Formats: sequence, C-alpha cells, structure tokens
Amino acid sequence: MASIDYSTEPSLTEGRPSAASIDEVIIKPLDTFPTKRWWIGISFTGTLALIWVVQLVWLSIKGVGIWGINQPVSWGFDLVNFVFWIGIGHAGTLISAILFLLRQRWRTGIARFAEAMTIFAVLCAAPFVLFHTGRWWVAAVYLLPYPSQHGIWPNFSSPLMWDVFAVSTYLTVSLVFWYLGLVPDFATLRDRTTHKIKKIAYSILSLGWRFSNKHWQHYERVYLILAGFSTPLVLSVHTIVSFDFAVSVLPGWHTTIFPPYFVAGAIFSGFAMVQNVLVVTRKLFHFEHLITMGHLEKMNKIMLATGSMVGYAYAMEFFIAWYGGNPVESFTFLNRMLGPYAWAYWTMVSCNVIFPQLFWFKKIRTSIPLMFVLGVIVNIGMWFERFVIVVTSLSRDYLPSSWQSFVPTMWDFAFFIGSIGLFFTMVLIFVRVLPSIALAEIKAVVDGAQPKHHK
Amino acid sequence: MSETHTSFEYQKQPLPAKWQTIGWTCIAIGVALAALSYFGDRPRMLFNDLIGLTFLMSVAVGAIFFVALEYFVGAVWSTPFRRVTEFLGAILPYATVLALPIVAYAHDVFHWTHHDVVMADEILRGKASYLNMKFFTGRFISVLLVWFVYYSIVTYNSYKQDKTQDQKHTRLNVKLSTIFIPLFAISITMFSVDWIMSLEPHWFSTMFGVYYFSGTALTSLAVITFFVVTLGERGYFSFKITPDHYYSFGAFLFAFTCFWAYIAFCQFLLIWYANIPEETFWYMARWKGGWEYVGVLLILVRFWIPFFALSSRSSKMNLKRLKTMSVWIAASHFIDLYWLIMPTHYKTVSLGWQEFVFPIISFGIIVLVFFNEAKKKNLVPIGDPKLQRGIDFRL
Repeated sequence: MASIDYSTEPSLTEGRPSAASIDEVIIKPLDTFPTKRWWIGISFTGTLALIWVVQLVWLSIKGVGIWGINQPVSWGFDLVNFVFWIGIGHAGTLISAILFLLRQRWRTGIARFAEAMTIFAVLCAAPFVLFHTGRWWVAAVYLLPYPSQHGIWPNFSSPLMWDVFAVSTYLTVSLVFWYLGLVPDFATLRDRTTHKIKKIAYSILSLGWRFSNKHWQHYERVYLILAGFSTPLVLSVHTIVSFDFAVSVLPGWHTTIFPPYFVAGAIFSGFAMVQNVLVVTRKLFHFEHLITMGHLEKMNKIMLATGSMVGYAYAMEFFIAWYGGNPVESFTFLNRMLGPYAWAYWTMVSCNVIFPQLFWFKKIRTSIPLMFVLGVIVNIGMWFERFVIVVTSLSRDYLPSSWQSFVPTMWDFAFFIGSIGLFFTMVLIFVRVLPSIALAEIKAVVDGAQPKHHK
Repeated sequence: MSETHTSFEYQKQPLPAKWQTIGWTCIAIGVALAALSYFGDRPRMLFNDLIGLTFLMSVAVGAIFFVALEYFVGAVWSTPFRRVTEFLGAILPYATVLALPIVAYAHDVFHWTHHDVVMADEILRGKASYLNMKFFTGRFISVLLVWFVYYSIVTYNSYKQDKTQDQKHTRLNVKLSTIFIPLFAISITMFSVDWIMSLEPHWFSTMFGVYYFSGTALTSLAVITFFVVTLGERGYFSFKITPDHYYSFGAFLFAFTCFWAYIAFCQFLLIWYANIPEETFWYMARWKGGWEYVGVLLILVRFWIPFFALSSRSSKMNLKRLKTMSVWIAASHFIDLYWLIMPTHYKTVSLGWQEFVFPIISFGIIVLVFFNEAKKKNLVPIGDPKLQRGIDFRL
C-alpha cells in the first residue's frame, strides 16, 4: 500500500472527469426510465410507508392506547423514534454547513445527498411528536400561539415546546439551504433537457439563473450566510432534544453532559445512515469516481470520532453516577447494566462504542461490505441508546410500587417500520428527480479545476 | 519527498532580548510577591496558586492538544505556525512546579483531605476511594506523563524533520497523535475533576471535563494567536502570512468562544432548571457575596464581547483586533478560573494584590519559555511536507 504524500493535496475525485461527463453520469438517472431494481425497491418501501399510514389512521381512531405505553412509561417508541430520526438528520447539516464553514472541500461530493436525507429524516421525525399527543388535531392547535379563549396557553418554559420551534426552524432553513444549492443545478437541467414540461418546471425552479459572475457572487454569499445560520440551528436542535430529558429530575435523564453528547450521537448515527445509503447509490449509479473511497473513509473516521465521544459520555455518566453519591442515580445505572433491559443496554454499548472501534483499522475503514455492516450496527446501537434512555429510566423511577415494564405492541413496530419505509421512499424518489451530487460544486473540486492546477 | 522545500528561504532570527528581561522580571516580582502572600495568608496564596496552575496548564496542554489536532485531522493551514504551538507546550514542566505547593499543603485547599470530615460525612466517605491523596497524586503523575511523553516524542520528531525533511516523521506523528487524542480526553477530564471540581467535593457535573476543555482550548488558542500575530507583524516568519491565515485564527477563536458559552450555558441551564439541591448549591454559592457580579462579568467578558468583536469577517483579519481579543480572551480565563475556584475559599468576593500575583508569574513564564524555545529551535517547521501547502492556503 502506497503511503500518503503529505506535500500534495489529495485528489477529491478520481480519473479527472470532464465537466460534460460529470453532467452525464449525474443526470442520467433523471433522464432514464427507472430500472426494475428501482421499482422493486420502491414497492417494498412504499408498502412499509403504507403500514405507516394505516397505523396513523388506526391511531387517530383509537388513540395512543394502541401502543405499549403505560404509566410510568408514558414515552415509548414515539420518543425513541423521534430522537432517532432527528439524529439521523444531523449528519446532513454537518456535512453541508459545518464542513463548509471549515472549508472541507471533500464535502461537495456528498453534501447534496446528505442534506436531502436531513430533510427526509426530519419529515420522518416530526409526525412522532405530533401523533404522540393522542388527539393530534387538537395538539396542532395548542402548539400555535392563539388567543386564550380556552384559558390554556402553550407552556413556553417546557423544552418540548422549544422542540417544536427548533425543529420547524431547522427544517425551514435546511430546505432553503438545500434549494439554494439546487438552483444552479436546475439551470443546468433546464439547459440540457429537451422535454417540454421538464423545461418549464426547471425554468421556474432555476429562478432565472444565467451562470453569470454576479449570480455566483450572490450565491456564494448567501450560501455562506445560510451555512452560518444552519450551524447553530443544528446544534440547538439536538441540544433541545436532550433538554427534553435533561431538565427533568429523573435519574438517568438529568445529567449535564447530555447536550454535547446528544449532538455527537446524532452526528454519529447520521453519518452511519449517509454512509450506508451512499455505498449503495454510488455503486448503482456509477458514482465511484465522484464519491470515492476517500469520502467513505473520512465518513468512517468521523463515525469513529463521534462514536468515541459517545463512549466518553457513557463513561462520564457512569463515573458521576457513582461519584455523585446519589443512590437513586447509581441504582439507575446499575439497573441499566444488570436490570431487565440489560440486553438493550449491552446492545447499545457494543454497537455504539465497541464495534465502531474497528474503524481504527484502515483495512476495515476501506472495505465496503465491512463498513456497510458497521454502519447498520451503529444505527441499531443509536436506536437502542434512545430506547435505553427513555424506557429504563421511566420503567424504574423513584417509586418502586409503580414500576412497570414496557412491552411494545405491533402498532409500535408498525409506526417505526413505517417511518423507515417513508424515509427510503423519499430517498428513492429523490435520486430519480434531482441530481444526487451537486453538479456545479463537484466540478469545482475535480483535478484541473483549481487555478493552481495549471502552474 | 517533495521538491517544494528547496525553494523555501528561511533564516532564523533571534527574538528581541527585551522579552527575556520582561519574562524574568515578571517571574521575579511574582515569586517575591507570592512569598509575601504565602507568609501573610497561606490558604489564599494556595488558592491563587491553583488558579495559576490551571491557567498555565490550559495554555500548555491546550497547545499540546492543538499540535495533536493538526496531525490528527491533517490540517495544513496551521502547519506554518505549528512551532508557536509547540513552543507553548514546553510550559508544561514549569506549570507543574506550581502544583507542588498545593500538593504540599493540600489540607488548606482540598476539603476531602481532612480525614475526620470525610468520616463524618456519608457522601464523602463514599468517594474516599477516589478522593484520597495517594490516588490523587498518582492520577496527577500519570496525567502529566501522558502529556509529557507525547509532547516530547512529537516535538522531537518535528525538530528532527527540519534537518531530514523526511515524511516518515509526519507519518509517525500522525499515528501518535491519533493515539493521544482519546488519552487527552480522559486525562484533561481527570485533571479538571481532581483539581477544580473536587474543591467542592459534594458537587458533581458530568459536563465539567468538557467545560474545562472548552476553556483550555480557547485560552491556548488565544495565546497562540497572540504570538502568531505579534511575530507575524514583525516579519519573523519569513513567508507571507495572508489575511486568510489570520482569518482562520479569528474564526477559530470565535468558534471556541461560542463553544465555551454553549457548554457553560447548558451546564447552568440544566442545573438551574432541574433545581436539585445537591447540584444547585454550587451555583448558589456563586450567586451571593458579590460573586454574582463576577459571574455576570464573566458572561460579558468571556462571551459577549469576543462574540461581537470577532463576528464580522473583516474583524477576523484585523491584526489589531485579533491581538487585543487574544489577550482579552486569555485574561478572561483568569476570571473564569477565579469564579470557579475562589468561592470555595471566600464566601464573599475578595480581590487584592494577592490575586494578581499568579497572573504576573504566568505571563512571565509564558514569555520566557517562548523566548528560550525560540532561541533553540526554528520558528518555522522548515522540513514539514505540509509547509508549502500551508503557506499557499487560501480560504
């Protein structure tokens, strides 16, 4: 294996592709009729998404009693899945905004896809909060500030309320940011297409973009500002999600490290999901020279780093549970390890902390099948992390006489599996209607595009 | 090996001899005053010593962290300035000296060293297996060893590369830094828990290690920025520093200012909101007896002013602004540590000349160590393969 030459800038793409060939390969899925494989895929995910719909209808008729929640475990899969999906979304903003601010040019190949996944993940997450209120049509009204005819005001001092604003702001800004990046690409699509209706649609969407120097100047400026906006927003979202738990006095929930730990965990799971989806996409659409092994390896490194941060937080929580000298707190942690949900706890620890350590080895980091499996493992682990936090703390709280176990029903699973179906349905539609790699941006980072390449 | 280095002209210049004089004068005055303070009010001197220790450790260990970080993430923009960071890491052994009086008179500082108190207190009895002098010093020594061993090997390789220009040194340092980063996370947490959090042995916060780390990184970065700008203005670097380089330092300072504020705010908010007496007493002690003013001042000085002063793009490239803010931020770390440490000893704010002794000593040590390091070693890592790329760095 050749060792790295530190004195030269590593190439971000392979084989010095020409601008025309880049357009060709990225736009091809948009211009061709979907393959059989795609139809099989979307029938499968679409079916799962239908389960989601059926569940929602049944939920609206019967109420949240169809789930396995009880007292004291009044939060079950709803919150677990909400936090899980919100977390998945974080990698997209990290890649598109934070890595942009850090001038990480390798982000260009994967930013579009990751950003799309952010939006889909938030769209999957939001229904869980809305529907877990039971009579969600009433909740939808309560959540808006409205004249106080009922004498009931939204509780603005509750982080659950902040969540609504944080998530909706985040979704809005992510959408705008994503769309902004798409504008030049819509113009390219507009100029290329021969299809009449497509031409009209792309013309409207491209907002009169003419690739002029002035356009680019404005674009760059707005892009930077939006990246600056998105960065605190994305951090605030998972910070506030962590507040949902940490402001309480429940053992296992109230701990000060939660905000950064949740953010790290969110990025961790999000990268796992982006990596998984990209591994498949680059293969099927022949993007291997644009989304290279280098990209995948960097993502795996970030997973190793954030996974280790999560491990640090677990260790710190555990240490302070002992050091703090609060018997309830130390019981909670022992209960997690040895109690009825020990299997969930150990799944979480092994999937989130132990298995990702395999990414220390370059061989594993650069092996497609192994990294794919590890990505799946990470997401299983991160789902279980939320399960452990929500369920173990609630089911064994201060009053032993009211201890209850949580047993999910088939509707709980239906809601979760349905959301997975919804997510991948959106991903599958996305890859067929929009360019999955930013056309304009990737051209700027291929070898030969930079002025210094022409010495 | 790359051909870029042959074209790089570098001539080592001695730093102004004035620096040495300033350094020694500060140390001499500081030590004399510290002695006076010691005979006047020993515990007070020791608590101030602790502030000095945690400050200097922040500068030194933060610098070591940034050396590691550069190798770890493969950054190039900071490579031309890495020597500044490496020089500051050399403060480590001198900072350790400040720990000796505290270890010698631990009774005056650490409540948990009093056996009778611990035995009478159920909570402290539970912690005795962690908070005892033997384990405490053992942890301190091992933490120092981790830092020192990593620092020595990495800088040795880095200096050696000046002559050999061999990339194998970079390769080795990348490996070492990768191993060091997780060890650093554990060690700085231990250090902050032991030396600051355990001052109030009943209090606990899982965030505390991160809190101290955020302050450490910010302070060290401020000192690095100060030296880079000061030396850069006077042309010590023998290559053209572009606004893009300065911008990166400014942006980094801005980011870490926000990070510190984020961590500080989250820690406070969660404890305030949950309102559990086991945790709130720590903040309560800092909300009376005049400490509330220090706390508010801290928010203003350490967050709002740097936040606005470094917000705009032009201010990040403004050398005067950068220099002022880097001194400002470093000084604000003293306020932070004062606010963290002193309320344990004084229920009401007491600010006298004693509080300024260790800032003076710290300043002297930083300047002097930097001067001595720069006398011996090249200010620019001329053999580093990433040097040319770093010089060519553009936003």
